[in-house]
Amino acid sequence: MKIELLYPGVANLYGDLMNVRYMAQCTGAEVVETGIKDTPHFTYEDIDLVYMGCTTEKGQSLIRDAFRPYVDALDQRIDEGGVTLVTGNALEIFGQRIDNEDGSSEEMLGLYNTYARRRMMNRYNSLYLGMLTDFEIIGFKSQFSHSYGEMPTPLFETIRGAGLNPDVTGEGIRINNFMATYVEGPILIINPLFNKYVQKLMGIEVPVLAYEKAAMDVYKTRLAEFKEPTRGFIY
Amino acid sequence: MRLRFLLALWMAKLSIPALKITKHNGTNYPGELAIKICPEFLKYVKKPKRIITVTGTNGKTTVSNLIIDSLESTGMKVLNNRAGSNINSGVATALINGVGLFNRAKYDLAVLEVDERSSKKIYPYVKPEITIITNLFRDSIMRNAHPGYIADFLTDSIPPETKLILNADDLISSAVAPNNERVYFGIDRMDTDVTECINLINDVRVCPKCGGSLKYEYLRYHHIGKAYCEDCGFKSPEYDYVAKDVDIDEMTLTASDKGGSMSYTLISDSVFNIYNMITVIAFLREFGMSHEEVHACLEKVHIVESRYQLTRAGTVDVVVQMAKDRNALACSRAMDYVVQQPGKKEIFLMMNNFSDEKKWSENTCWMYDCDFEFLNDEDVTHIVATGPRGKDYRLRLLIAGVPDKKIDFVSDELEAVEKLHFEPHTSIYIFYGTDALALMGKVKDKTIALATQYTERG
Ligand SMILES: [Zn+2]
Repeated sequence: MKIELLYPGVANLYGDLMNVRYMAQCTGAEVVETGIKDTPHFTYEDIDLVYMGCTTEKGQSLIRDAFRPYVDALDQRIDEGGVTLVTGNALEIFGQRIDNEDGSSEEMLGLYNTYARRRMMNRYNSLYLGMLTDFEIIGFKSQFSHSYGEMPTPLFETIRGAGLNPDVTGEGIRINNFMATYVEGPILIINPLFNKYVQKLMGIEVPVLAYEKAAMDVYKTRLAEFKEPTRGFIY
Repeated sequence: MRLRFLLALWMAKLSIPALKITKHNGTNYPGELAIKICPEFLKYVKKPKRIITVTGTNGKTTVSNLIIDSLESTGMKVLNNRAGSNINSGVATALINGVGLFNRAKYDLAVLEVDERSSKKIYPYVKPEITIITNLFRDSIMRNAHPGYIADFLTDSIPPETKLILNADDLISSAVAPNNERVYFGIDRMDTDVTECINLINDVRVCPKCGGSLKYEYLRYHHIGKAYCEDCGFKSPEYDYVAKDVDIDEMTLTASDKGGSMSYTLISDSVFNIYNMITVIAFLREFGMSHEEVHACLEKVHIVESRYQLTRAGTVDVVVQMAKDRNALACSRAMDYVVQQPGKKEIFLMMNNFSDEKKWSENTCWMYDCDFEFLNDEDVTHIVATGPRGKDYRLRLLIAGVPDKKIDFVSDELEAVEKLHFEPHTSIYIFYGTDALALMGKVKDKTIALATQYTERG
């Protein structure tokens, strides 16, 4: 089993990298890291999970430029059912473009038809509660931008919080086993059911979680809090 | 405008005696009121001829205080905002105190601590001769996003004529306002330096010029150290003011610059404070003092280590350790520091943010950026996780490799104290956040009482 961590040199914000360390503890997978100047491993060897986390605004452009030669390979990976998880603003790198508040715009990789609108003086902080198949997803959002445009098949259906933007309930993007979400931070750690779901996509028949009892305890406690109707959701 | 400004000034000045009666000394209220009445108050209020500002993620309060104390020790009068806050209303409050009723400046010099995020509201009007940036680190995810964001903020706000005193060992803050005149300080290689980052947070992993993997000649923690890029030749700035031969046992360092060098007594044994010290030395030298004069100043000043307090209880040391809540970097530094202290330790984790818990549910992404791995140490014999996010600490500790049998979780903080083992001749460290002072006091008192009872009897 192998997990590829894409661009940890720049995509390393908000605790996202711990998802990979934890996933390796759960599955015993080997983790390979890919730098900005490297060829992604998934283009030349079997990778069971490709992961990329949150980055800075400059990091988004850097990754776009670095990844451009491999968009077709990613397309092929998606067609073949390879599992990929992208969190936070890394989602925007594969959209059409990012619009800045000064009117400028940055073309992105165009894997899907959404575009992001960035507002650097307007950070959006919120809790997130959503559904995937028959279980709930909990998490956090802390971002300068939302996505608009032609809405793709979402990854999660929102119960509380914002979808790809505050006006839609569809959260994230799902293309076959490519999953992108604005939910950031320890998503695979505090969502044991989602973690098992991802492991199954990776071909693990009986998923195992490291510290399952403690993780379930965290998940259930938060889930109960997030469901309290009087609890604030926006920071 | 003139009238509105004077009205604002007078109303603000009138509010000061009222605040003194109600004992609200450190408040921003006068400044807040003045800005409310006259939004461009900061533009019109007369400022001292020379303004120095101190900003950065860590150490700005310590550095400002040391500079003010140093200058005052030479008999200078220094207008400052140490009693108030470092946002625009705090700066306004200080400047109100610095003028008479008819807006005549009573001071020649101001040293102002400025919050990074308030820069845009302050620097258009308050033009510093010198700005010191201590460092830029990851801070609150919600407010500060990432340090590059804050660096851009400063670059956009600091006036072009301001001279910068910058930390050469920090590639984020040292790159602020690249066109401004600047000098750099830093600490030369230390015995404890490494070359590979062991921290989870490292915000300068790739070369800012070419994107290649950055290497470090020496690395202190996170991104602090002397970096170079093998691909394009980029490297950290050279030091203008450098602390050399730092000797923690002898508590000395040598500060060196093109004008000479001198041995100084350390004001603290923590690397953070050694940085603060070389920052102050760099400033005072830039300000025109000789090493002898700087040395004389620093002999007279000291720092208040309020974040770390030790009480002996029976045979146990009870230490309260501030670990700024929701701040992965501050908690990592605190954990690193505590684990390096000698002897066996019990750890009590209660650095939840309690006001968040009332408003929503704390964003705990920071925990996964924070080096809980430091607590996976054989001298840490037992950890009690408590409070609303105690279960999150437990999970995080397990992922960090701490054995389950070393961890206890009890939701209620005061009940949790009873879970401590109180082994004789050990230390108990209580990690608390900024908004838990009252609760921390109760936890500390109960810990001291039980420690005294158990270890004196035993
Ligand atoms: Zn380079």
